[in-house]
Amino acid sequence: MTVIAVISPKGGVGKTTVAVNLASAMAENGRVVRLVDMDPQNALRLHLGGDPGDVNGLVHQTLQQSSWYYTEYDSAYGVSFIPYGKVSEVERITFEAYLAQTPNWLRDNIAELDHDPAGLTIIDTPPGPSVYVQQVLSIANLVLVVMIPDAGSYATLPAIEGLLDYYCAHRSDFYGSYYVLNQFDAEHPLNRDIKNVMQNTLGERLAPHSIHRDESLSEALAFQQPAANYAPHSQAVDDLAQLAVWLENKVARVAR
Amino acid sequence: MSKVQPEKNPVSSAGVQREDRRSRSREQSRYRFGKLNEYTTAMIEWYGWEHRYWRIAVMLVVLVLFVFSMSVPMSLAVQSVYAATIFAISLFLCRYTGTLFTLVMVVFSVNQSSRYLYWRMTETLVLDNWVDGTFGIILLLAEIYAWMVLLLGYVQTIWPLKRKPEPMPEDTALWPSVDIYITTYDEPLRVVRPTVLAALAIDWPRDKLNIYLLDDGRREEFREFAESVGITHLTRDNNFHAKAGNINAALTKTSGEFVAIFDCDHIPARSFLQMTMGWFLRDPKLGMIQTPHHFLSADPFERNLGTFRRVPNEGELFYGLIQDGNDLWNATFFCGSCAVTRRSILLEIGGVAVETVTEDAHTALKMHRMGYTTAYISIPQAAGLATESLSAHVGQRIRWARGMAQIFRVDNPLFGKGLSLMQRLCYSNAMLHFFYGLPRIIFLTAPLSYLFFQAHIINAEALIIAAYAIPHLAHANLTNSRMQGAHRHSFWAELYESTLAWYILRPTLVALIDPKFGKFNVTAKGGLVEKEFLDWQIGAPYLIMLALNIVGLLTGFVRLFWWNSFEAQTVILNLIWTIYNLVLLGATMAVATEAKQVRANHRVNCNQKAMLKLNDGSRVVCRASDYSEGGLGLIMPDAGMAPLHSEVRVSLFMGVREFVFPARVVFARDTVVGIEFEGLSLQQQMDLVQCTLARADAWLDWTDNRVVDRPMKGLQEILFHSMKGYGHLWHYLMKRVGSTRPQGVEDKKPERDGFYQNISKKITGKNGNPPIFSWGQK
Repeated sequence: MTVIAVISPKGGVGKTTVAVNLASAMAENGRVVRLVDMDPQNALRLHLGGDPGDVNGLVHQTLQQSSWYYTEYDSAYGVSFIPYGKVSEVERITFEAYLAQTPNWLRDNIAELDHDPAGLTIIDTPPGPSVYVQQVLSIANLVLVVMIPDAGSYATLPAIEGLLDYYCAHRSDFYGSYYVLNQFDAEHPLNRDIKNVMQNTLGERLAPHSIHRDESLSEALAFQQPAANYAPHSQAVDDLAQLAVWLENKVARVAR
Repeated sequence: MSKVQPEKNPVSSAGVQREDRRSRSREQSRYRFGKLNEYTTAMIEWYGWEHRYWRIAVMLVVLVLFVFSMSVPMSLAVQSVYAATIFAISLFLCRYTGTLFTLVMVVFSVNQSSRYLYWRMTETLVLDNWVDGTFGIILLLAEIYAWMVLLLGYVQTIWPLKRKPEPMPEDTALWPSVDIYITTYDEPLRVVRPTVLAALAIDWPRDKLNIYLLDDGRREEFREFAESVGITHLTRDNNFHAKAGNINAALTKTSGEFVAIFDCDHIPARSFLQMTMGWFLRDPKLGMIQTPHHFLSADPFERNLGTFRRVPNEGELFYGLIQDGNDLWNATFFCGSCAVTRRSILLEIGGVAVETVTEDAHTALKMHRMGYTTAYISIPQAAGLATESLSAHVGQRIRWARGMAQIFRVDNPLFGKGLSLMQRLCYSNAMLHFFYGLPRIIFLTAPLSYLFFQAHIINAEALIIAAYAIPHLAHANLTNSRMQGAHRHSFWAELYESTLAWYILRPTLVALIDPKFGKFNVTAKGGLVEKEFLDWQIGAPYLIMLALNIVGLLTGFVRLFWWNSFEAQTVILNLIWTIYNLVLLGATMAVATEAKQVRANHRVNCNQKAMLKLNDGSRVVCRASDYSEGGLGLIMPDAGMAPLHSEVRVSLFMGVREFVFPARVVFARDTVVGIEFEGLSLQQQMDLVQCTLARADAWLDWTDNRVVDRPMKGLQEILFHSMKGYGHLWHYLMKRVGSTRPQGVEDKKPERDGFYQNISKKITGKNGNPPIFSWGQK
């Protein structure tokens, strides 16, 4: 079982969208994929047709000292997911305090679940450094950093690298960290320039296929579907499929 | 045939599949490891080959056997059995791959042809009356010519070198500086523009690449364009020696170590220099490296016969096989474009040769005489437009033929110093080849000498003639089909040469007599062919020959039944020959019927990834199926995705690099969408050329869907085109006879190509918006 963390330095870069559609693309390739939402926005489930009224999630299970088993949902799109849960402010503060005291919380909970040996667990995180990101980065085998091709995003690169160095680099079960550009539009020279610069900085670690800005991704969310179901021919879906293959190769290379 | 490889390109027709399988078994088959190969390998590895005396002894024995088998007289029965046996062996060997078997087949073919010719010279010439004598000797001379060209052709192409590109060193500091010359005289800017844009995109260190537009027309418009893209516009104050003079003048003004030369309509691929330059670093004596001239549009043969990309065109034998064969003997010819030369060596021989009208071939000859080498890389790294009309095509071939004849006169490769024997033979064949005019006409009319004048030009019984001639022809066809099949289908040489024979006859003969004399350029009509028509002017000599042959045919029947019924076999033989000639002449008529060409721009098929950004912000993955002047044809994943007239952005890719172009949908039917680019910036125009014409792999899969040659299939094809030719001829004759109206006016056929015609009209008709690349008539 491999844990892939999806992180981003800034909000609004489409991290959740990438996580969900990546998972769905990997499931399409025959993988058993589980999504875990560690983002208090609790938005991941909406991409997969989850019931908007359902409040259940990993926060409730944790606070009730129960298992994640009771909050894992199967979607119609080949991936299962564990939502964050709809929580009050008090609950969130309590939960985050608990996490800060229990550094192994995520590791233990994940270990308790049933796992396919070749399966993938993809964890979505809130943007920027947080107690969630700490826990996720401490156990992730592979990290995917989602960036958008603007100067602001590029400026955060050293900070992200610092985080990765601190939590991941020393671990023997860490395969590596990779970057992908989301909302790419080759028509804008700045987009192309940033991509070039990032390619020079990151080399092989930048996914060769950027994910294009594509309205069908937002529309897919409105219909609570992965984009591959909603708009199978869209460029972004194609990009995500390529990204999935690229990442799976990275996983496979290490596993061998 | 039990093992069938998975098909790469599934083809629907069962016939094509069968042929595909045949070719596979020929190319990569189990025969490779057969018993026969063991024997031959043992033979090749025999220790005796290492010892001089053994070698000489073996060769002497072989020579004696050869001469004996060539000259020993045989009765009809013995000759028939002997010839049949040899041919059966050849047929059997043909199933095996490998040069060794080709060599054996060549020896058989040469043996049988020589035997035929020896027999002809010793037993069939009758000089006791002047009619038989004259016609007989004329025919014999033509046959000797054909025999020589056959032999020289075998020598030239026996072992194509298939040279691979030599990699460049990692360190680009070691890469030499290159000047790119793009020569132009009167071509419009729209023809030159894509070539320049593609040259700008060639992968080479920027500080070591200089591009020059050699404008013999001294046009202000060209100067401005050159300035706007940052290249140098070079002119001179005279036009002496045309292109050769143009290049020589530029040589004094530039300083790159190497000079790459392009005709203004040959669009280089971005990989051009990296594919070619490596050999210069490896071989310091290398003076010139040539790549093929690839044509992205159909030449008149291909267009008028409808064989574009199915049957190898006229030039392909030369670029696909002969040049590769020449390369083995260090005799690659320079072809004037799509080549790189080393400045120091070019200057040493006095620049590009100016003595003849084929300056290119002569330049390479001079290099070889000085002991320098030339090389050929058979990978298309540039593409251009084929000649637009048959008359233009004929005009070009006349120039080549005349130039080669001139070289033959002023700097004969058989004599003079500095050349190896094989180089002399390769050059001689190249030149001799262009003298095919007269022999070809002789063959086309030879049987008439009997049918009209009762001249017994081959003085033997018909059956004996057949017993000698059939093996000679059959071996030549079988062997050539094996050696050339991929680049020239069987019997097509007959068609190509017959069509051009009359026109190159005069220039070559005159140039032989006086190399400086005469101009023979047929006026190039060029441009668009708005309606199909028969080119009476080009067809005229053939019409006359055709009429003569038909009269001959009718006479023949009279002779068969009344006048010469006592020698029926001879009449029948001549009738068969006449019918074959009529087939060729009919096919010539099919070529002379200019098919309609309505598009000023050529559409090039492709299959590459593309992306369409639609009005609503969504982006769709699609494939580009063709590109043409300023437009793209796209295959969408679903019908109705891109509404007509909507503005879109289309992306094309080079690896993971993406280029976006603004465009408008001008056609949409089912999943097929046609778009037209709008308002491209100069940078975008460059990017577009890079994504399409200048791709390194743009021309690599050109021959993928081609049918494999089989001799009888080739004959069938010629027969088919011949029937079509007679159809056309009848149609236009009737029209000429029956109507006084200007020809063609009433002959409006429904528009087949409406969509793209529409696009091109729109593009060229835009308000001052210049087309992105226009390859209109040159």
